Amino acid sequence: MAEEKNEVKLRIRDVSMRFRMEEDRAGSLKETFTKMFTKGLKFREFYALHDVSFDVYKGDVLGIIGRNGAGKSTILKIISGIMKPTKGSVERYGNIVPMLELGSGFDMDLSGRENIFLNGAILGYDKQFLKNKYNEIVEFSELHEFIEMPLRNYSSGMIMRLAFSIATVVEPEILIVDEILAVGDENFQKKSRARMMELMSGGTTVLFVSHDMNQIREMCNRVVWLDGGTVRLQGPTEIICDRYRI
Amino acid sequence: MTNIQVKKVSKYILWTYLVVVCLFTIGAYDKLFMKTESGVSRLVFYLPFVALAGGLLFFYTRLLQKNGEKGRRVIGAGFFETIHKYRFLIEQLVTRDFKIKYKRSVLGVFWSFLNPLLMMIVQYIVFSHLLNIRGGVAHYAIYLLCGIVMWNGFNDCSMQSMRSITGNSALITKVYVPKYIYPVTKVFSASVNVLLSMIPLLLVTLVYGLFSTPRLFLKPSVFLLPFGLLFLLVFCIGMGFLLSSLMVFFHDIEFLWTVLSTAWMYATPIIYSLSMFEGKEGVQWIVTLMKFNPLYHYISFVRTIILEGTSPAFSEYLICAAFSAAMFAIGITVFKKCQDKFILYL
Repeated sequence: MAEEKNEVKLRIRDVSMRFRMEEDRAGSLKETFTKMFTKGLKFREFYALHDVSFDVYKGDVLGIIGRNGAGKSTILKIISGIMKPTKGSVERYGNIVPMLELGSGFDMDLSGRENIFLNGAILGYDKQFLKNKYNEIVEFSELHEFIEMPLRNYSSGMIMRLAFSIATVVEPEILIVDEILAVGDENFQKKSRARMMELMSGGTTVLFVSHDMNQIREMCNRVVWLDGGTVRLQGPTEIICDRYRI
Repeated sequence: MTNIQVKKVSKYILWTYLVVVCLFTIGAYDKLFMKTESGVSRLVFYLPFVALAGGLLFFYTRLLQKNGEKGRRVIGAGFFETIHKYRFLIEQLVTRDFKIKYKRSVLGVFWSFLNPLLMMIVQYIVFSHLLNIRGGVAHYAIYLLCGIVMWNGFNDCSMQSMRSITGNSALITKVYVPKYIYPVTKVFSASVNVLLSMIPLLLVTLVYGLFSTPRLFLKPSVFLLPFGLLFLLVFCIGMGFLLSSLMVFFHDIEFLWTVLSTAWMYATPIIYSLSMFEGKEGVQWIVTLMKFNPLYHYISFVRTIILEGTSPAFSEYLICAAFSAAMFAIGITVFKKCQDKFILYL
């Protein structure tokens, strides 16, 4: 394949994630102690991911597909560093911007302007960058006259618009997207879709989870099919998508 | 870090050292210039020590600038890199906490001054006039206020940082940020209030001192206050690490801690003084026990500075620093061990 000559941006090797499902989780000191003495803590082990390996190359738009509970969100969380895998390793070459849930970290009592800086800092942008891009963010979100208002007075659509504008103002080397392409009204949906396309075509490496096969076919050049925590198939979009339908 | 940033960090380190030396020299000048029995002033030991430490620090900054060359890593370089990287985030989180705290109150920041002041008036009336627990302490009002300010600082820091991980669970499960940022920023934002409450403490001391008999004047030793606060801050960060990680696994800690901290408060001479136990049979163990109470040492550190107008004994610095370092070490070890499991329990 042509992509394989490119440099590797993400190398995921034998990643396993084990969850311990305690029969009923001990939420307090007393419960833990009493259980330790009576019957012992019972665990049911559950592998959300089992020996998952794949590489992502520079400029790839990689789609991750699979049924509910196949481990899609877990692998995204592991790649963005939020979770640590039980086994295996993830090597990252480049800065990652995860767009797992927009607007986490917003504070409802602060104004839109203050939230731009707070959320930007959480996403790892630096001060100078945010100052330079501040106008661009406000412009894109179309919130000019509301920007000094506290967020609790915003409508949910306005909050999503602000969150999207902050998250996509960077041009990250690796972008992780968990089905958030459409926010706001029809007009803003078009705009945000265009912005995503712009980001994806600009040489950014994208990891993309979706259940919408049309969207996957349209955007991705490679697809990883997860099934029950393992990689069922991976390869060029067309081949995998045709098989997935069956 | 780039070269320019390393140079900036080195500059900060050296300036901090200079400020520390200046504060200490001004604050403890009476003890430093005082002649010992042998007839030499302590400066003979102090000045070479300052020069030596300064020289070592300068050498260290040189090493920092060479960090990464020939694949060598200098100890502490990683620490400065993370601080540099997340400085903006810490700054943002602290301002958020501070803004939120007084956002909907009329008097706003003014509460930071007013609160300890009002608390002191209430406790002064109750303990001094109603219960008469002065215990022969001179300047009881100031004695009490020092205790209240330091204790409230500790209590505030530990309470806030205890909830820092569970309270930010929405963020922790969505974005990657080093988790120790959360307890540390909570302690920072709580300690802004401790800093602000120093202002009413000093003001009250000034005014009170003019009208009391014997008179009480602020001496240059107040320049040593930052050291006391720094010890407390480090101790609180350690405590915050410990409490916040326990809190994730056992929510009982929250309820247990309110009881424990109340017990701890009464076990610390805030409203009473140890001199009350002098000459009494069967209570000497309390005095012995107090040697192991870190808060007692921090509070008496501040009291010595303000009430006696002199620097605490050198051994007190060592004891306070040792408690802070020990607590910090315990806290960070527990936190590091647990932090990867947090996400599974949030």
